[in-house]
Amino acid sequence: MKEVAAVFQKEWRAEVRSRHGLFTAGLFSVLAVVAMSFAGYGLRPSGSLAAGMLCVTLLFSAILALPRTFLIEDEQGTFDLLRLIGEPGPVFVGKTLYNIVQMLVTGALLGTVFLALSGVEVRSGPLLVAGLGLQCVALAAAVSLCGALVIGASNRWVLAGAVAMPLLLPQVFLGVGALRVALGEGMSAGGWQSVAGLAGFAVAALASGPLIASAVWREE
Amino acid sequence: MKRLANPYLFGAVVVATIVSFALPDADSFRVPSLARIIFWHLPCAFLTTGLVFLAAWFGLRYLGSRDTRWDIRGAAALELGALFGALTMVTGILFSKVQWGEWWQNDPRQTSFLMVLLILAAGLSLRAGLSDEKKAASAGAGYALFSLIPNFFLMFVFPRLPQVRQRSFHPSETIQTGGFDGAYWTGILVVFACLAWVTFIVYRLRVEAGELTVRAEFADGNREADRGSAAPDRMVRPVPVPPGGGD
Amino acid sequence: MLAVRDLGRKFGPRWVLRHIEFSLEPGEVLVVRGRNGAGKSTLLRLLAGLLSPSEGTVALPPGPLRTAVGYAALDLALYPGLTAREHLQFSATMRQIEDSGDVLLGQVGLANAADRPVGQFSSGMRARLKLALALQASPPVLLLDEPTASLDEEGRAIVDTLVDRQRDRGVVVLATNDPHDCRQATGVLQLE
Repeated sequence: MKEVAAVFQKEWRAEVRSRHGLFTAGLFSVLAVVAMSFAGYGLRPSGSLAAGMLCVTLLFSAILALPRTFLIEDEQGTFDLLRLIGEPGPVFVGKTLYNIVQMLVTGALLGTVFLALSGVEVRSGPLLVAGLGLQCVALAAAVSLCGALVIGASNRWVLAGAVAMPLLLPQVFLGVGALRVALGEGMSAGGWQSVAGLAGFAVAALASGPLIASAVWREE
Repeated sequence: MKRLANPYLFGAVVVATIVSFALPDADSFRVPSLARIIFWHLPCAFLTTGLVFLAAWFGLRYLGSRDTRWDIRGAAALELGALFGALTMVTGILFSKVQWGEWWQNDPRQTSFLMVLLILAAGLSLRAGLSDEKKAASAGAGYALFSLIPNFFLMFVFPRLPQVRQRSFHPSETIQTGGFDGAYWTGILVVFACLAWVTFIVYRLRVEAGELTVRAEFADGNREADRGSAAPDRMVRPVPVPPGGGD
Repeated sequence: MLAVRDLGRKFGPRWVLRHIEFSLEPGEVLVVRGRNGAGKSTLLRLLAGLLSPSEGTVALPPGPLRTAVGYAALDLALYPGLTAREHLQFSATMRQIEDSGDVLLGQVGLANAADRPVGQFSSGMRARLKLALALQASPPVLLLDEPTASLDEEGRAIVDTLVDRQRDRGVVVLATNDPHDCRQATGVLQLE
């Protein structure tokens, strides 16, 4: 557990000192929401459309920002140091936890700005929070694993996105299913069913990610 | 290639083709005579599903053993899975045009199978993107294992969701509730058996080709080493340093 | 203590190293020499567990790799945003050992730069910090790849002292073509 905390702390220190990951994801999210607001000519989107826009923006900010925690180690050459001093499991879990926190912050920021600019009304606050939160956790867990898998590739940044995107589409579907109900369309039961699906995805990704990453990193 | 020229296999393909044309029309479809593409569409989808699971199983075996043979089998299953996934897609699109009037109509089942196909394509691009064979093998194995989660959802959970059933034109209900009569299932099973046979032969050929490539690379490496261009092919042992220093 | 049997590694179809055999007992210092591209660094990476062998075996002392082997190399990168002290703290936690950062930093002559980000370090200072990280767990096997390449005279003397101390608790493998580094060698492995 101490090792996981040490990796998390290292990521946090690097973020505080460089402000690359969180800043980039936050800036992208705000810009995307502002761009959508412009493109909508001030029209208020329906619940389903708003949920889709929100989830797709989340998806792209995850793909843009999260693989960085793994790929930067490869790019700056510190992955060897990490492998020399640590076990793969705690390293992966520490980085994934950091990514989850980063994604939750991004999700909160994105959700707030989006709701403020789009004028969409929230019908169920708890469903919105649960859907958005679990969507962030599931995205962070899956993108983290994809980042870990593409270490060593020459086109790793593009590859991480290309590899992660299809894996994340079912999560986006479930996220839209939850958020559209939270934003006023569809039956409440269907929304919570999607939240349960998202929770299942998040748990499966969080449970299998460290095992798979450890097995892949064990040797080069 | 001799194995593909097998007369029994050729006979089976002919029988499967005849069966798929000889069976009576499916009256519940808009153009009953052209609904028989289902005989080929469904077996392709079944094979894709099987190959996706097989690739994940081989990935698990590879990560446990680091034996290249499992990696070759995993790559073969993935490539064939992508091929049959593409065939499922193409036959589905043809069916859609004939029966529903549109090549692509954003049917949730069409979209979900496209996602499966994209996951398989991403697995292929991941393997191609890593130049180190060992790294490509372990990353490919990890991806095949992890992609089981979304693939399982897209193949088995998604089609059964009430909101998807309501919106989809796909005759999943007919298939899942046994709405096809016995003759139709016979046709599907005959074509499935034939395609599974072809798949097995192509799979074996792909695995043998992969194993031959590994052996050839090993032999090439030996030859290169013998010529002395890459590394000395002899025992290298340290020598003691005489007293007074190493140089 | 360190035994290598029929070790080989290939990249793609090309063998970079083949049929390497040696064993070292405590107190021995093996110098690995050879022209550029002969496989010196590859051999050390294989011994450190950063690469897996294509054939053959490496037998190391029992225990986890992260405490059994210390490795310092020119191409081993450090975190530019972390200080020297933070590097040692992080490494100690990951290796599950006690943090003796200040002592180590004193030994490698970095006591005054302990709280400066490594991004502001010269290449020589980085080499010293890598030495400190390699020695942190008091490993029985110390692997040094071109350890004095970017060091001044004082730094070279520090490496000599640390290699001497290491001989009391284990073995050293040095990959170098620098005659200075060969002075403490008890054996030489010449790669062609």
